[in-house]
Amino acid sequence: MLEKGKISAIQLIILLYPTITATAILVLPATTGSFAKQDMWLSPIWASTFGYLSIFIAYALHKYYPQKTLIEYSEKIVGMIPGKLIGFGFLFFLLHTNGMNLRDYGEFVVGNFLQKTPIIVVVLSMAFVCAITVYGGIEVLARSSQFFFPVFVVLFLFIIVLLIPVLNPKNILPVMGEGLTPSIKGALIPSQWFNEFILISFLLPYLNKKKNAFKWGVLSVSLVMITLVITNLFSLLLFGDITSYFTYPFMDAARYISIADFLQHVELIVMALWVTGMFIKISVFYYAIVLGTAQWLGLTSYRPIVFPIGFLLVVLSIWVTPNLQKLTEFSSTTWPVYAFVFQMFIPVSLLLIAMLRKKKSN
Amino acid sequence: MHPLLKTNILLRSIFICLLLFVLSGCWDRVEINDLAIVTGMGIDKTDEGDIELSVQIANPKAMASSGSSSGGQSDGETTVVNTVKGKTIFDARSKLQEGLSRQFFEGHNRVIFISKELAEDGIKKHVDFFARFPSPRLRANVFIVDSKASDILKVPSDFELNSAEVARELAKLKIGLNITTKDLLQQLANESGSIALPIITAEENPTGKKGLRLSGSAIFKKDKMVGQIDSALTRGVLWIRDKIEMSSVTLEPDNTEGYISFELLRSSTELIPTIKDGKWKMIVNITTEDDVVENETNLDILDPKITNKLEKQLERKVKERIQDTLDYVQKELEADIFGFGEAFHHKFPKQWEKEKDKWEEKFPKLEVEIIGEAYIRRPGRSNIPQEEQKKE
Amino acid sequence: MSWKILKSKKKKKNAAPKPLSNQKQEQSSLFTSVKENEKEFRSIYSDCSDFILRPFLIGGKYDAILLYIEGLSNTDEIDDSVLSPLMEKNENQNDIQIGSLVKSQVAVSDVKELQTFEDCIQAISSGNPIVLVDKYKTGFSLGLTKWEKRSIEPPEAEKVIRGPREGFVETLAVNTSMIRRQIRSPKLKMQSMEIGKYTKTKVIITYIDGIVDHTLVEEVKNRLKRIDIDGILDSGVIEEFIEDHPYSPFPQMLDTERPDTVSGNLLEGRAAILVDGSPFALIVPTTFYSFLQSNEDYYSRFLIATAIRWLRFIFIIISLLLPSLYVALLTFHQEMIPTALLISMAASREQVPFPAIVEVFIMEITFEALREAGLRLPKQVGSAVSIVGALVIGEAAVSAGIVSAPMVIVVAITGIASFTVPRYSAAIAIRMIRFPLVLLAGTLGLLGVMLGLIMIIVHMSTLRSFGVPYLSPMAPMKLSEMKDTMMRAPWWKLNTRPHLTGDYNKYRQSPEQKPGPNKGKQ
Repeated sequence: MLEKGKISAIQLIILLYPTITATAILVLPATTGSFAKQDMWLSPIWASTFGYLSIFIAYALHKYYPQKTLIEYSEKIVGMIPGKLIGFGFLFFLLHTNGMNLRDYGEFVVGNFLQKTPIIVVVLSMAFVCAITVYGGIEVLARSSQFFFPVFVVLFLFIIVLLIPVLNPKNILPVMGEGLTPSIKGALIPSQWFNEFILISFLLPYLNKKKNAFKWGVLSVSLVMITLVITNLFSLLLFGDITSYFTYPFMDAARYISIADFLQHVELIVMALWVTGMFIKISVFYYAIVLGTAQWLGLTSYRPIVFPIGFLLVVLSIWVTPNLQKLTEFSSTTWPVYAFVFQMFIPVSLLLIAMLRKKKSN
Repeated sequence: MHPLLKTNILLRSIFICLLLFVLSGCWDRVEINDLAIVTGMGIDKTDEGDIELSVQIANPKAMASSGSSSGGQSDGETTVVNTVKGKTIFDARSKLQEGLSRQFFEGHNRVIFISKELAEDGIKKHVDFFARFPSPRLRANVFIVDSKASDILKVPSDFELNSAEVARELAKLKIGLNITTKDLLQQLANESGSIALPIITAEENPTGKKGLRLSGSAIFKKDKMVGQIDSALTRGVLWIRDKIEMSSVTLEPDNTEGYISFELLRSSTELIPTIKDGKWKMIVNITTEDDVVENETNLDILDPKITNKLEKQLERKVKERIQDTLDYVQKELEADIFGFGEAFHHKFPKQWEKEKDKWEEKFPKLEVEIIGEAYIRRPGRSNIPQEEQKKE
Repeated sequence: MSWKILKSKKKKKNAAPKPLSNQKQEQSSLFTSVKENEKEFRSIYSDCSDFILRPFLIGGKYDAILLYIEGLSNTDEIDDSVLSPLMEKNENQNDIQIGSLVKSQVAVSDVKELQTFEDCIQAISSGNPIVLVDKYKTGFSLGLTKWEKRSIEPPEAEKVIRGPREGFVETLAVNTSMIRRQIRSPKLKMQSMEIGKYTKTKVIITYIDGIVDHTLVEEVKNRLKRIDIDGILDSGVIEEFIEDHPYSPFPQMLDTERPDTVSGNLLEGRAAILVDGSPFALIVPTTFYSFLQSNEDYYSRFLIATAIRWLRFIFIIISLLLPSLYVALLTFHQEMIPTALLISMAASREQVPFPAIVEVFIMEITFEALREAGLRLPKQVGSAVSIVGALVIGEAAVSAGIVSAPMVIVVAITGIASFTVPRYSAAIAIRMIRFPLVLLAGTLGLLGVMLGLIMIIVHMSTLRSFGVPYLSPMAPMKLSEMKDTMMRAPWWKLNTRPHLTGDYNKYRQSPEQKPGPNKGKQ
């Protein structure tokens, strides 16, 4: 096997949780809010069904091929050439998505904190840090994210607690005033975030105790769902109807915090939260790409391609979009469909074919 | 490759990258001594219809010399006020920068003054800058100024660092309205589209010094200022909005001479919208708890009967105040600044959806019932009837 | 010099490695004739004025020589218990075997028989006098070592208020005896080996059989065996030869001069390396958290110990981050500073000619220099002097307008904070890392600090000390071990040992020992 490291079930959660929430807590309240209005806090609950589904598919496929990742078993399931094609498509999708993640990160930092710093510097520095991590292998990735996970959670809770005094509970009313439709509409885009849980198929083979893998995966999805509900709820309770006006409502919420005139402008905490979360997210994607590519090419080690792929990521993050508006438009119109194909449609078809084959052979 | 050598390469590349960062320069680095720390902003309207932006900038140099132990006279005011004209706020800001040796920095601006003239033309377009540009705070307080906004900025302050800080502290006391940029944005986005903003005026004290004073509220309809109410009516708005924290009520009880003053302990207001047979009605339910703080009369307020009577009277007084406010704001200005519309929307989303567009006509005719309940909790620290005082 | 020449020179150096191996030396056995032996030893120890060779007659008949090095052996004992009984004329025992003669006449407890010159030389250099008898191929080494040594003193670098006050000295036997006095079980093993072609330094690996993972002991032995060097003067040299990640700034072995620290760690299943001539023992494997713990944590009340641990955690973060946060906030994120504070900071910086980052570097480097200078001052009052010096210099620098007053506060707090780290080796690592962090803060603001921190954590995640992840039990998380890292659970709750590698002896003590007035009464 390419990867000799092992991770524990807790580490699996800790890798997946920030991978989904990092971008979601900042970007999602605005997009969900524009569809679901005051029911936006319900949307993540509907969307999470896709998360559970992804975990289920990945786990079922993992049961058939315990030692293999998606790239490897797709060849086994549909044959050499189609498998390679699917693998290539999937890798391309991951690369593209990670380029977008990197750009998202850069846009946020440059747009809110370092207006005059060239985005390439911001993106490059992050890519470099992630490359070092991925170079260290899955154990290093798991351990460093395990170290940052408490930081991430504590910072998040810190902001949430500080927000409590300025909330207006009336903003939640009327609950489901227009029925279920708005909140389900609002769930469409978050569902693709939950579909990112399919990345678990790159991590499952390296779990040391596989017994409770599915349970932990489900727990992970639930944690993400709860976090997103809280984020959406708090953004809503603070801003009400104007939530969707802001590009990053959660960050503006943090800016609004003022405790005793001293503790104010804690948006830097949001930045710390974002940077740690994005670090884990980009690294997990990056790792999946590097490992997948090495498996796709049949290399004996993934280390030599870490830095070249990192370079590709940086370039992609610049190419992927000319500006934030295009990026936002893309990620709320084209991307959901595009992501659905790779994160849901292909894994589901793989699973169905695998099941059929199993039946035939029996 | 030898594992040690690999680490070496990694280490070297880290150093090179570090060096690259350092050498390539620091794009966003600004020393605080190169910043013009804006503490307050004022927007006026020029005769040509353009904007006149005034900024109050803290002067650390003056602070440094006044703070030192030498105790010498400070070389200049603690704040500097600059004024410039422009088409938009940012346009004016850019022009201002041309004449400013330090970089404009509104990250610490916590107060925005908007002149009445400008407010009458609509304020939505001016608020945009404060929500879009990264550095201004959403928590900045917004005030409407009777005179010129730049004059307010120039008022010297006795206790606080500058006049903007005075205005902010005044708003914080919650005697009048306390509206931040975020609240303003929220209200602009509201169904009813009506806003109330506090008015601040510069007044001359008897000593000849100028001071700031909250003097009521400006009422907006669809982002245009339509009228203003005085402090007493403003308090009525606060009662209805359940925002009142500091208030005193002075009564003249029946059958006796003199006054009794009450201080508000806490109060809660509930807006209960009802729709009966297609008839919309708003019930305002107010519960207030008060302490007696001054008793000029010879009433024994320890007597439960008298207390009961006083409670009734207090109730009536509060209701009267609210009714006055409603009479003016609802009937004459026809601006829903109380959040009645929202209350209907929250409780009856379906009916609201239908009637939403007609709300503007509906609101002035809306029946409002005020239910009040007042409790007098404590008679105060001591209870000395006036007559006994006279005997001594 | 051109690059090529440099490279070729390097190659030449590498091409001719001189094996310094001391293990494959040929062993030459002693001669039968005492005269030849004497001649050989005289040539070996030529020009050694401290070498003493005393020919004498056993019982007035047999030729013999006594060899020792002045100052390493107990001369009085040699005279009383060796020379005088042997030289005494004893008519009755004429033809008795010389071997048994030595046994019956020499009143010394530790006597070893030696066959080769090499063994003899080793015995002589470690202070054991040697007796060689004519017509006899065996030498006798007598355990009469005695040299001047430092008396046991309280450890200088690891002071405690409560707990044992003795520290290791330079003499290995004293050090091992101190551990032996604490752990009296024969399960306490001490394996000895010799490193250094010239110094012949004795190195002892000590562990407790039954608790330690034997693969760990084997690994330590293997790594020690690989050392091929001319001399070992301190355990620090050994540390650099056997650590896992030589390029890391972080120490991967715990160095301590406290016997109770060694014993405590042995009881947790670790191994210790003791080096003759060094008062510092090395403990392997080590995690980062052991550097943040003081012995006293285990001797004072657990609530207080936990609070103090947290105090340390907070101040370690401060010592690492405060200067960089100061730069980041002051030059990038001014909106984070409360308005009043910002204006007063701006006022105090009005006269200062340097940018904040330069100011930080000036002051931090000055502080480090003062600290370093203070260390070398006579007695360790130097550290106090250096702090005072920094403050005085700071005061003068502020009034001269070279630095701002907030900067001095930042440096002072950072300095104090870095002294809360109980282990010098870890404290110095943290102190040095903060400089690159300040640079990053000066270029990218808080983002730079964050990225720097991430890099540090990623680096620490890659580290392993003898198979144990450096950040364990935090990452990988072992909840059961948190009881002795994030907090210090009461002793009656510390029932399990930390899990290091491989199989291990899990239980330390019997459970349910919580004391109370009703304990023991049923």
